[in-house]
Parts: sequence; structure tokens; C-alpha cells
Amino acid sequence: MARNLQRALVIACAGAVLGLAANLISPRRIPYITAPKVAPLPADFIPLAEAKQLWQAGATFFLDARAPADYATGHIAGAYNLPAEEFDARYPQIATMLTPDTAIVTYCDGLQCDLSHHLTARLRQLHYQNVRVLQNGWTAWHQAGFATTTGDKP
Amino acid sequence: MKWFNLILRLILGGIFVYAGVEKIIDPAGFAQSISNYQILPHTWINLLAITLPWIETLAGGLLMAGYWRKANALILASLLIVFVVAIGFAMHRGLNINCGCTNTVGGAKVGWKKLAEDTLLVMAAWLVWKDRNRNE
Repeated sequence: MARNLQRALVIACAGAVLGLAANLISPRRIPYITAPKVAPLPADFIPLAEAKQLWQAGATFFLDARAPADYATGHIAGAYNLPAEEFDARYPQIATMLTPDTAIVTYCDGLQCDLSHHLTARLRQLHYQNVRVLQNGWTAWHQAGFATTTGDKP
Repeated sequence: MKWFNLILRLILGGIFVYAGVEKIIDPAGFAQSISNYQILPHTWINLLAITLPWIETLAGGLLMAGYWRKANALILASLLIVFVVAIGFAMHRGLNINCGCTNTVGGAKVGWKKLAEDTLLVMAAWLVWKDRNRNE
């Protein structure tokens, strides 16, 4: 047992060292220390009622930050899917439909979900001025009985 | 029994190699998944996201090759137990772990299914460890 524990430790350390080294040269490297969390401001959120109004007015762009499978299971009617985790790959498609002052509402699902915050941060970096998060978006929206749809299209 | 254990080893190791490589390809996504569990202190999340997939891949690969069988089975079993605890903890706190954690669909059910899968894999690791046909 002691020998196996020792060996297990050797393998774990070797794996960790490999990972640390690979992250130095990987094109997808991430910082070794996680960047501190930026607490969202109240102004970053849009209340459900206001989101509904904007949705009805039709000029606002709704972006679903969840994974495509979740999006296909059900999403806000008319919302486009821009998964926060596939931002770089999927953004160019969406970008053709946006201008810097397009009103954008991002959402994911669950109070703990911060995909919509990540998406909002990325969009703001790209100089979109008017981006807000609909918190607990999917659950709040469909529980309120607002229009939803399924499938991989808006 | 010899064949059974070989197949078990290949499956268990293969799952970890696959899972490891998937995470190596997308460290930022994996860091997000870890962060969704809200267990680890924020600062440490990236370090785990950088190292864990390589440990999984290395241990899984060595297990498939049959090298240091027991030591690798031990690593994988330990990891699986940690996963089971993390999933159970997240479920207990009612976290919406369907949210960006995996691409799987189905809300809370995913929690139980994953929990059952990982528990089965712990048993597989135990059988691999116990295999008497070899000395290692």
C-alpha cells in the first residue's frame, strides 16, 4: 500500500507538472491564479418586466449564454445562442447582426449562473455599450409564461 | 477474470483519458465548471483547471497500458470519490449544476445520473485494484 501511495503521488505530481508546463505554451493558456471576481453592479441587471417590454418592442437583441444543448431544449423566443464558453468561435456569426449601440440582454439559467455575466463582460470589451443581464433568465422568463421556443434556431 | 479486468482497466482508463483531453482542450471552460460548484477558493480554481486534466490523462493512460496498475487505480478512485462528494454537495445545496457545468441536458436528474456513474466507476477502480492476476 505504501509503495502504491508513493507511486500515486509521483504520477499526480508528474501530471501536475505537465499541466503547469503545458499551460506555459498552450494557445489556450489561462492565468495560473484566477483573476479576481468583479462584483456586478445593480445597473448591470435588467428587471424581468423591463426585459419583457423590450422584447415586445422588438429592437432588443436577446442572447442566450448557455450551451447549445440547453438552448435547444428551450429558450426565449427570438433569442440567439452565443455560448459564453464558445464565444470566440460563435461571436463572428452574431456580430454581423449587431452595432455598438444595439440594446442587448444576456441570460443563462439559475441565480448562480454567471455565463451571462461572462458574455456581458466579453461584449463590453468589444465596445457594446448597452448590455444587461436578465438574472435567472430562462427560469424567470418561462415561469412568467412569456414566449419561448425550442430547437437550435431563434 | 483476466479478460474482465483488462476490459475494466481499458474502460476506466479510457474514460479518464477522454475526460482529461476534453478539459485540456478547454481549460477556461473547465475553470468555469469548477467555479460553478462554489467549493474551491476562487484563487485556486485555475491551478486546478490547469493540472487536474493532465493528472487524469496521465493516470488513465498508464492504467490502460497496465503500468503501475494499483497506483493509477488509486488515483482514479480518489478523484472519483472527490467528484462524488462535490456533486453530492452541489445537489444538497440545490445548485443548478446543469448551468454551464456540462453540456448535458436535464436539470437535477443529471446530478443523480452523474452520481451513479461515478459510484460505478469507483467500484470498477476497486476491482482493478483487487485484480489478483498480477503483482503490480
